[in-house]
Amino acid sequence: MRNSGFLESLNVFYQYSKLSLKVMLEFKLDRSMITLAIFCREMIAVVVMLLILARFLHIRGWDMNQLFFLYSFLFISYSLFVFIFAGVRDFDQLVHSGEFDRYLIRPRGLLFQVVASKIDLPATLGHGVVGVILFMNTAFSVGITWNMQNILFYISVVVGGAVIQASIFMLTACMSFWAIRIENIRNLIFFNARRIAGYPISFYPAFIQKMLIFIVPFSFVNYFPAQFFIRKEDMNLFWDGFMYMTPVVGVVMFVVVSLFWRFGVRSYSSSGNALY
Amino acid sequence: MALIEVDDLVKEYQLNVRHKGLLGSIRSLLIPEYTKKVAVDSISFSIEKGETVGFIGPNGAGKSTTVKMLTGILTPTSGTITVGGLSPYKDRKKNASRIGVVFGQRTQLWWDLPVADTFDLLKYIYKIPDNVFRENMELFSDILGLQEFMKQPVRQLSLGQKMRADIGAALLHNPEIIFFDEPTIGLDVVAKEQIREFVRTVNRERGTTMLFTTHDMLDIEKTCKRMIIIDHGKKIYDGTVEEIKDKYGRSRVLRVEFSEYIADVQLPGAEMIKEEGNKKWFEFQKDQTQVSRLINTLSQKYGIVDITVQEPEIEGVIREIYQGGIDLNETLSGVS
Repeated sequence: MRNSGFLESLNVFYQYSKLSLKVMLEFKLDRSMITLAIFCREMIAVVVMLLILARFLHIRGWDMNQLFFLYSFLFISYSLFVFIFAGVRDFDQLVHSGEFDRYLIRPRGLLFQVVASKIDLPATLGHGVVGVILFMNTAFSVGITWNMQNILFYISVVVGGAVIQASIFMLTACMSFWAIRIENIRNLIFFNARRIAGYPISFYPAFIQKMLIFIVPFSFVNYFPAQFFIRKEDMNLFWDGFMYMTPVVGVVMFVVVSLFWRFGVRSYSSSGNALY
Repeated sequence: MALIEVDDLVKEYQLNVRHKGLLGSIRSLLIPEYTKKVAVDSISFSIEKGETVGFIGPNGAGKSTTVKMLTGILTPTSGTITVGGLSPYKDRKKNASRIGVVFGQRTQLWWDLPVADTFDLLKYIYKIPDNVFRENMELFSDILGLQEFMKQPVRQLSLGQKMRADIGAALLHNPEIIFFDEPTIGLDVVAKEQIREFVRTVNRERGTTMLFTTHDMLDIEKTCKRMIIIDHGKKIYDGTVEEIKDKYGRSRVLRVEFSEYIADVQLPGAEMIKEEGNKKWFEFQKDQTQVSRLINTLSQKYGIVDITVQEPEIEGVIREIYQGGIDLNETLSGVS
């Protein structure tokens, strides 16, 4: 029974996606340009890094392929996150415009509707393609045997990483329920943390390491999963268990944030968007 | 038990006090101050299945807040609501599948896609069976004329077409209760009439319960038998449209066109309020002066080309109630 409910929801999700896709096709040129723009923006960062790294053979024991393998996690998991959670990313607009009221009078879960009603394909593709390029060029030259076990672990850390990022966005989305808009601060913290995480966190002072582990846990999106695969010496600085923790961190963060979300919905229904 | 039962409903908002100017903004950021605003102040009523009820009141009277509580968007501060035996906010999803809501100022249609696409999506969201969906589409095409523009992107539709499509979208899952929040706002006379006709048809044929909030009294007169007036969060009237018109629309205007210009017309029991060429308008109270006596008097003295008696419009009556000119008194059955 529960299973058929899940399939039914999946079908509704598919129907929503079909409409999003149709909207995108209405504006083919515009959306293609945006996709290209995002791809170029991200690719330039990669190229700049490449030019700098080309002058060194190693940095603290990491060679170029290993560094780009580390970097690829950020793009692939971000792509997955945006593909599913674009609605959460833009949630503040939904509340501000009063459109959220409409979701409350539909016989479906709220988070489900928020997630299903928006798909940002340009961002998904823009980041995804960069991620895949990096992955294809590095994953087979850093000494990983891609056996079943490793492939499954890889999938689980990419999903886990996407959920971690989704949780960060959802946490700030919840603030909209109290008419607090912190999107700019969020973007500042999120994207800078992401940029910092582009390099192994062992390169940084302890303060920044702690921040990327405990506060904005980007280290679980790329550093620790990458360490699982290519095991460098600097992993000795950290607890070994961190390498396996990405899915756990994702699940725990998501559960906690979901509770906060529920609390937020309850608060919203006591004031509506009258606060704005 | 009635379909909708509302008992002693109260809704208070905590509002942020904002001070003027930049310094004021900083001050309210650092030391937030709140005031309590009572939007709905112990309202009670019950609505039977198949009733059409108009909710009226000046801006900010608490109509929208009440409707938001009935639809499950907001939780009441105190008091109880049951809609078809359910609590709208506790059983949000269950309640949502049985109600339809039309917001006159906000569309639920996908802006860049043809109307038909939104309808298809709603079919899945509300789990509408194929045969019901087909039947409804036929009905809407017939009465609302939707087929003309089903394939056009919503952004290209006129306001009237959009409204019709929105009403169709809200009724697609055969809701038992429909809430209309200003459904005719900004529409022309023909479009308004078409929507009213549709509403009457659905109510008659399906026995759907309907609640309106509107500022257009003609909407109420043409579609609702019952009217609830809310002001300052309190219910001040709940009864038939007819009764309030009878009781408070006591004055009548007699419009007379004379065959020649008469400088001074003496008409006891009535007062001249307007004059234009050979035409004159007289106001009288129908319970004090008989119209037949007035006409007699006039026709005996003067030559008359045309004569009409004008009823006051309900709008005028309501305006006076809002402005406090009419004190709804206890003799009226609907006053609580």
